[in-house]
Amino acid sequence: MRPFDHLTLMQFCWAALSILGFSIRVNLKGWKILLIAIGGGLTWAFYLIFLYFSKSLLFSVFCSVFLVCTYSEIMARLSKIPVSVFVTCVIIPLVPGSNLYYAMQAYIAGDSVVASQNLYKVLLISGTIALAIAVVSSITNLIFRMKNRF
Amino acid sequence: MNRITSTEALEISMEIGRILLQNGSTANRVELMMCKVCSIFGYPETEAYVTPTGIFLTVSDGKEIFTTSIKRIENRQTDLGKITKISHLVYDMERQYCKEGVCYWNADKFREELKHIENEKTWPDWFKILCGGLTSGCFCLLFGGSWLEFAVAYAVGVLVSLSLKLLGNLKLNNFLLHILGAALIVVFAKVLDIWVPYIKLDNIIIGGIMLLVPGLSFVNAIRDTMSGDLVSGTARGVEAIFLAIAIAAGSGIMLKLFELWGM
Repeated sequence: MRPFDHLTLMQFCWAALSILGFSIRVNLKGWKILLIAIGGGLTWAFYLIFLYFSKSLLFSVFCSVFLVCTYSEIMARLSKIPVSVFVTCVIIPLVPGSNLYYAMQAYIAGDSVVASQNLYKVLLISGTIALAIAVVSSITNLIFRMKNRF
Repeated sequence: MNRITSTEALEISMEIGRILLQNGSTANRVELMMCKVCSIFGYPETEAYVTPTGIFLTVSDGKEIFTTSIKRIENRQTDLGKITKISHLVYDMERQYCKEGVCYWNADKFREELKHIENEKTWPDWFKILCGGLTSGCFCLLFGGSWLEFAVAYAVGVLVSLSLKLLGNLKLNNFLLHILGAALIVVFAKVLDIWVPYIKLDNIIIGGIMLLVPGLSFVNAIRDTMSGDLVSGTARGVEAIFLAIAIAAGSGIMLKLFELWGM
């Protein structure tokens, strides 16, 4: 799949719609959930674009979470939603639920090589998402401290 | 204008902390919020210690009286709407209702407002159940499903949201609820597979599982650990790992049973 064609756009829409559903499930309301939905779509779109150019799974996960966390730090301050609420909803598309399922399926089929590969991926992807969120929140804290200092 | 006593300040900030923690806020944020509320009421010498299962709060009136309260937190759930509303309430308190310890509202008014936030229903239940279907269906498309698979995943999502809602009335613990939820996803997908031809079950089941993954515990674990709250960070991390195991176990058991039965 090439980036920036209609397929990426459709994937963006689906990710945005699913995050819209998710944010209604956790009782958020108002026009702000549209911002959250766009954030969720951007997560997946950035992931696909970086994956196309770099061919590296973890690098694209890191970059997309990094960019989207920056987006959500800005938008959360503009729309007065707590940042943690925003980030929680926005990273959902990258949470490795599919690898978890494939690992389970492979274990049941008796294929422990595929199973451990997928389990390893689950751990690596979650670790990468954690790292990216941590980096962005530390940078934000640093910027605010600098702003108060000077 | 009357000043709110330290006992009332303790009670109100404890209630705010309880609502925040019960609906899935990070421990660090709860501590900051409770200290902020107490200092808005004019009691800046406040100490708070929050773990995912309990709150300790001490308010000093600046002279000799220290008031301490402990609250045990049970049945946690995910309701980010309430967290947003509480944040807005605290923000409004700071801006409008209170200035340097003098409040234009008395304690009863605050209690009433908190009770209102606690009991308010944002969306009707049937709408949330339909949105569960939307989430599951769109994740199915995202992982490469076809439109027919979208329809099946939508049905599975709606059925699972409905049954999770009904199972929630039984007050089961969280792990059992996730095991049952994941098992039900596989059951519904397999049963619908009998009537609908030409579908692959993988994407449908993944779409359903995305409804259950512990995203909130995961993000909270990271944020707590990063803010130096090691106890809550580890506790939430372990919670996330256990919930993931519960999901894998639930779907695994059902897949194995269906395989043994020969489907």
